[in-house]
Amino acid sequence: MPATAPRDSVVATVGDGFGSLLVHTTARYLGFENEQLTVFGPSDNPVGTYQQFAYNLGQTVLRSESESHFLAPDWPTFAQLDAWSHKSLRPLWRTIRRKYNPGVPEILTEAAVVMRRTGWEQARIPTKVGWLQRQMNPTPHFVMYDEQANFIGRAKHVMLAPGHGPLSFPPLLAKARKDPALADRIVQAYEPKQYAAGGRYIVLGAGIASVNEWANILDAGGSVLALTRNEQPETQDLNVPRCLFESIGIDAYTRLPFDQRIEFLGQVLRGTRPQRRQWLSRIQTGQQEGRFDAIVGEIDKIEPGRAGLRVYVKSKDGEDPGWLDVTGVTAGTGFNKSVLTLPLIRRLVEFYKVPVIEGRLRLQTNCGVPGLDLPESRLCCMGLIANNVIPHGDTIAGLKFISRRFVSDCARAEKLQRRSFPSRMSLQFSMGRDVAQALRTVSPTQQLA
Amino acid sequence: MCPTVLGRVQTRWAILIIPAIIWTIVSLITQNPSYIVLIGLYFVIGVALDTAFYPFVIRWQPPWLTFVLAVGEFILVYLAAKSLKGIHFSSDWIPIAVYWITWVIAIWTKVVILPLVSLSWIEDAGEFRSTSWSVAPEYVPLAVTAFTPDLGEGGPPPLARKFSAAVIEIPEELRRAPSPSGVFQIPTGPPPA
Repeated sequence: MPATAPRDSVVATVGDGFGSLLVHTTARYLGFENEQLTVFGPSDNPVGTYQQFAYNLGQTVLRSESESHFLAPDWPTFAQLDAWSHKSLRPLWRTIRRKYNPGVPEILTEAAVVMRRTGWEQARIPTKVGWLQRQMNPTPHFVMYDEQANFIGRAKHVMLAPGHGPLSFPPLLAKARKDPALADRIVQAYEPKQYAAGGRYIVLGAGIASVNEWANILDAGGSVLALTRNEQPETQDLNVPRCLFESIGIDAYTRLPFDQRIEFLGQVLRGTRPQRRQWLSRIQTGQQEGRFDAIVGEIDKIEPGRAGLRVYVKSKDGEDPGWLDVTGVTAGTGFNKSVLTLPLIRRLVEFYKVPVIEGRLRLQTNCGVPGLDLPESRLCCMGLIANNVIPHGDTIAGLKFISRRFVSDCARAEKLQRRSFPSRMSLQFSMGRDVAQALRTVSPTQQLA
Repeated sequence: MCPTVLGRVQTRWAILIIPAIIWTIVSLITQNPSYIVLIGLYFVIGVALDTAFYPFVIRWQPPWLTFVLAVGEFILVYLAAKSLKGIHFSSDWIPIAVYWITWVIAIWTKVVILPLVSLSWIEDAGEFRSTSWSVAPEYVPLAVTAFTPDLGEGGPPPLARKFSAAVIEIPEELRRAPSPSGVFQIPTGPPPA
């Protein structure tokens, strides 16, 4: 049963996804009571949105590694829980070689256990926050309203975790999607879709979503022409270089001026993907069967055709492939990164004049919203909107990094009586036991690395 | 993990506290200070490596490397113990056992205890900072390995030629292939009752 509005709390999370669960778990671990916490959002499942995207993408394992899961501290790791639950040393052997990635069903199972154990649902107001007002008296706090301007609660500290913006398409494809004759032939990797045996598909991009789609099409018996704008695909295990996941990299990154951070992000986030043996073997088999090829170029024109679509492909170097008959085009082009696509953030930007540069909030180095954030009453951001401070801000590890620091700031501001070490240890043992028990009911997902 | 020099030293200090207490008690009971001296030697050699060697050869430390480093440190500690006059054991196996018991306790402390003591210990490169938005001393970018699908030379790749609309006939199977979108799908079954 969710909570009812209005609800006053010490720490509120605006958003009902991964970030909300991690803030909630960390707060409970450090010693906040459930009555002191609120989550605002209509979804009763913090992993629901991700689950749908993963299903649409055909994703079976996370890109993240063993530490990226929903328990607040870094012990036990997910590989340890997996090993414990299935009485197998294999996950541990894989994780010491950094070849272990939690399976999607397993991580969703863990999220369900953590959600239940920490009382996330009981702290949730099933309403979307439409407006947030800074109040300074009697003590600094925030007042929240829903999208119909009804008062829904107050909080001393607020975490903004609005998630991603809408799906992004290259301009030509976005325009073509408005044409009913073409619309159903152009899909985004994160949308629901189907591939046919014998079908011919162009997949745009070379990031993790695109490579997933290459594999999905080859598995369905179709042919793939991988189209990238630059000859830049690089493999790296995680979505930013490893040391950027830790203070050694993050603090150096944060010290850079904002413009340099954005430029740096552009370089490190440019369509990388992890090296996966399973993917490589499927793609190599596809190449041998004449069902996979790659080309550097762009779609220049698109119209209805004999196979569904007629697409003009311009090569970046050399002879153009010209007009091609294809069944469909899949864009692995991710999400719109502009914060102005998020209604609440756009309103805050307009009303409070929060600085925005090229669609990105110019956050403080503690992910605080300039002008609204105070040490005694924090307004912090997490997720993609915070990646100009924490480069992996939209990964589980990044969400954890921000949650830990935000909740610690709140604990210091509130002079929280922190949970004792024996209590933390006992909590971790019991949570780990419950997660391991739940994992026993899930068939182990095949590792791809 | 990408530990800093300070992180390595602080972590080593923290993980050797429990073994040091245990071997101090053993030294007192057996009236043989060699046990605690051996741990002291392990600590000194470890700190020397942490400050003067590891930072120059290891940037990102994968978990498997921890065991490799332990073997290397064991060889150094064993040789040093054999060459120092103050360390005496009744059997050569005792310092070996002391080292590996110490290492097992230390690694358990590192894996289980430290993450519970400090939420951000791993993220803070092995340093014990307060969980906050602090600044680290150095930044080390990591190299990435390039992977590019084989691109044919001399014009469009074979699959692009096969896809070409200049081909007069295209297979019937391809004409019949449905559109990929699930968003625009129209339900075909009977309407719900």
